[in-house]
Amino acid sequence: MLLALDRVTSYYGKTPILKEVGFDLPQGQCLCVLGRNGVGKTTLLRTIMGLTDRASGAIRVEGEAIERAPTHKRAKYGLGYIPQGRQILPQFTVEENILLGTFARSDGARGVPDLCLSLFPYLAENLHRKAGLLSGGQQQQLAIARALATNPRILLLDEPTEGIQPNIVAEIGQTLRRLNRELGITLILTEQHIKVARKLGDAFLMMENGRIVARGPIGEMTDELIERHMTI
Amino acid sequence: MHLLDAVPLINALILGLSIASIWLIAALGLTIIYGTVGVINMAHGEFIMVGAYTSYALQSSIGLPFLLCLPASFAVVALVGLVIERGLIRYLYNRPLDTLLATWGVSLVLMQGVRLIFGSDPKYIAVPQIFQDNLAFGPFGLSVFRLVVIAITAAVVAATAWLFYRTRFGMQVRAVMQNKEMAASFGIDADRVYMITFAIGAGLAGLAGSLFGVLAIVLPTMGTAYVVQAFLVVVVGGGSLVGSVAAAGLTGELQSVFALFSNDTFARFLLYVLIVVFLRFRPRGLFAVAKARR
Repeated sequence: MLLALDRVTSYYGKTPILKEVGFDLPQGQCLCVLGRNGVGKTTLLRTIMGLTDRASGAIRVEGEAIERAPTHKRAKYGLGYIPQGRQILPQFTVEENILLGTFARSDGARGVPDLCLSLFPYLAENLHRKAGLLSGGQQQQLAIARALATNPRILLLDEPTEGIQPNIVAEIGQTLRRLNRELGITLILTEQHIKVARKLGDAFLMMENGRIVARGPIGEMTDELIERHMTI
Repeated sequence: MHLLDAVPLINALILGLSIASIWLIAALGLTIIYGTVGVINMAHGEFIMVGAYTSYALQSSIGLPFLLCLPASFAVVALVGLVIERGLIRYLYNRPLDTLLATWGVSLVLMQGVRLIFGSDPKYIAVPQIFQDNLAFGPFGLSVFRLVVIAITAAVVAATAWLFYRTRFGMQVRAVMQNKEMAASFGIDADRVYMITFAIGAGLAGLAGSLFGVLAIVLPTMGTAYVVQAFLVVVVGGGSLVGSVAAAGLTGELQSVFALFSNDTFARFLLYVLIVVFLRFRPRGLFAVAKARR
């Protein structure tokens, strides 16, 4: 199993936000994490990266326990994180933002990977532009390029299509599909767009109040489930 | 205007450049520690003082040549800074008020420690004869040593800029300054970045102290004389490297030109008043650093 969580509970301060979460993610799969706002989807990804105040339970990458490792060491296990709101570094150029990813590589390569440039021609043409000047969709491309520069085995994407123009949503969906199907990168993404989830996902997790309430192959994600756990 | 009338003014500008270089090198370590680590280091003046005593001790005990005392003072005070960061400061990063108090405590300990070892009488650092000469081009002049200080300051500022803007380490530092969580998510150890930056900042204070020990006498209390100017430069500049360079240049020249028309004390009074007025309108200084750290 590439990524495995076992009975993971995660806290902000003394409040548990994620409760007894466990799942297995095989190599090459795309797992969609679904649920309403505030059910713990973002916290799940932040817990895997070690960005919550405290967590209990086991997190393994290819059998190696990482739950005790600080964030900067977890990145080196091949976790490429694309956080909510992109969080690109605004004072860095596009190139510097991509190079930031290379600090998490274990092979010591230091240049901008060709993959980042071929996937995103706009970034290739604007390497010396300040990243703070990019549009939302361009920043999302940059956030993906930055995570790819880590040479990841798993990409963790937090709402990759949030706040992005509809025509760019499809484009980002296609890019992710390519990364998953052609390059074999395992994906775990939180998503509000059911359409995107159905198109990309192999499996789904439905969350409510910090717990997993339903799971299975994406084909079993029925409208009834969506009705129950996602409509307001 | 006759050319001769401009001579005092030009001499004042030359002296101003010298004052600026002294204030800048005094403020450099403080700038990178405040700008990067976010700690207001009240012990900065005492780091300068320890640097001066390091040079004095190495010179009087093993006869180390002055030019080698400079890197030695850098190394020794960097090590002192490293120990203080590991032993104390790192536990207080999320508590700015406590670091203020803790570094003030460190300053008292350093001052008393040096007084116990070396006593309270003034010490002197000797320099080669050539540094004691005066250089004159017609009516314009400056002591050789002040020129040396200007040159060393320029070199050290250039080296610092290179480190922070042209190296992989510098990129890590700037990434941590912008977003600590993201830097960590991409493999950067912020703790290590803070540790190294603090040590470098302390080392730069030590280097400055070595120079100041020649310009003036070496005393356990000498740090306080420089730390006020250093803080002024950092506050007026806004905490960035380019800000400190601009602020030191501006305040140094103003001090020198004001002194031309009055005297040193009144010039300083006038300068402080101007700075208060300036900060009233630009409280974050000339070049404010964006703060996004947690």
